[in-house]
Amino acid sequence: MPADPQLTWEDFLRLAQQAGLDASSPHLAELFPYVQGVLASLEPLRSLDVSGEEPDMAFLPNPE
Amino acid sequence: MDTLELCYLSAAELSRGVRDRKLSPVEIVDAHLARIEATEPVLNSFITLLPEQARAAARRAEAEIQAGRRRGPLHGIPVGLKDLFNTAGVRTTSGSRLLDTFIPKEDCTVAARLQRAGGILLGKLNMHQFAYGPTGENPDYGHMHNPWDPERISGGSSGGSGSAAAAGQCPITLGSDTGGSIRIPAALCGIVGLKPTYGLVSRHGLTPLAWSMDHPGPMTRTVEDAALTLTVIAGHDPKDPASSKAAVPDYMAALTGDIRGLRIGVPKEFWAAPVDAQVAQSVREAIALLAELGAVVSEVSLPLFSASQAISNAILMPEASAYHRDRLLQDGDKLYPPVRLRMEAGLFISAADYLRGQQARRVFNLQARRLLEQVDLLAGPAVPVTAPHLLAPTVDIGGRQVGTTAALTQYSRPYNITGFPAISVPCGFSDAGLPMGLQLAGRPFDELTVLRAAHAYQQATQWHLRRPPV
Repeated sequence: MPADPQLTWEDFLRLAQQAGLDASSPHLAELFPYVQGVLASLEPLRSLDVSGEEPDMAFLPNPE
Repeated sequence: MDTLELCYLSAAELSRGVRDRKLSPVEIVDAHLARIEATEPVLNSFITLLPEQARAAARRAEAEIQAGRRRGPLHGIPVGLKDLFNTAGVRTTSGSRLLDTFIPKEDCTVAARLQRAGGILLGKLNMHQFAYGPTGENPDYGHMHNPWDPERISGGSSGGSGSAAAAGQCPITLGSDTGGSIRIPAALCGIVGLKPTYGLVSRHGLTPLAWSMDHPGPMTRTVEDAALTLTVIAGHDPKDPASSKAAVPDYMAALTGDIRGLRIGVPKEFWAAPVDAQVAQSVREAIALLAELGAVVSEVSLPLFSASQAISNAILMPEASAYHRDRLLQDGDKLYPPVRLRMEAGLFISAADYLRGQQARRVFNLQARRLLEQVDLLAGPAVPVTAPHLLAPTVDIGGRQVGTTAALTQYSRPYNITGFPAISVPCGFSDAGLPMGLQLAGRPFDELTVLRAAHAYQQATQWHLRRPPV
């Protein structure tokens, strides 16, 4: 699976607005690099072979 | 008995003393309240103290026991609950002023079971705001402080539970663990912290952080007390949709001290991650001692260990943001800024990435389960460092600067992904006098083996008998 393209400031603002955050808030300047860091932390998932695996939507180990 | 000595008796010792009418619940509760009064200005373990309610409960317990009506093993024994366990008539803040006046109408299942067994609630324990952080920072109710060095963190998110148990404020405390929030403060404060199998202990009435990773569990000074508490709180609860119907064994019966032939695997990947030299040495010595006691130790491999932070972030963060979304959008500026950032960032993780995280979780679980067909337990450090200084953004590990949150959760997150039972047990002290923890993890619902090994180790060592200078 290819790496995600870098999140741009414009895309970030659009997503922030869609999420219900105040896109005019100066706080977003602090949030932007934080979100970039979090998304970068997910990169190892892209190199994992998960083909054919159904998601464990809730982990229920041997419930009976 | 001297009141300080009373505060450092284990819950099991107190329980036997009460049963045999050698100790009085009133005397026990008064001693712990005095200890809290003396140490709380330094530690800040509690958000809400309940001295009058606890004294009244102690008087009732004493009368019942004298009349031959002992309710259970915890009758007359003080307990403390992290402040996200709902308690009827007692405010439950989840560590945020936003919930400063929230008074639940009913007890969570864990609180109800503790009360049914006779436990006496001393108060509600301080925590990282909304359980969203491993350091025990809380600007709303004050940061938590480590009893071994108050300039350092107690760990989190169940930081008040860790400091209260370690400092003799309360023999049994309860925490919750989504990425290590029981085991991290346990390791940093020098106590035992057990994250039971997902589904074994009810989450009903707890403020969620991430539904599929939240685990309530006991934090105590001894493994025996963890087993005693688990026996009381474990078991099916129809109010929790993830609650298991598996039969609950007598966990106290597991504490035989015999671990001959027990197979313990040590994933080699644990040592490739950043880990403080003294912690590594102490954990290796602990594992060697388990081998001396008869365990068969071998090196194993868990290649996906390196992906555990990514898997955890992909699942935990969107779940937390989904739960807190309305609060975040309405009152985001009233949250602790690092908590706010985490909650907001979770809104940017796509559904596709969340589901890929869940797919990866399945692959991770299969790999970990196969490992536990080869061995009975996995061993390693609970936390790669000793308690960092308060508010330190990074920690130095062998000359390398590592983010504090990433470092603290490095070894605990894997077992929130798998849901396996995992315990942190004290395994030494650094040159600076700070405690370190050995982590043992077992198969789903095999708490018996986890507790048996941890207890055998604790019986062969004296780390848990040291007292903090506070």
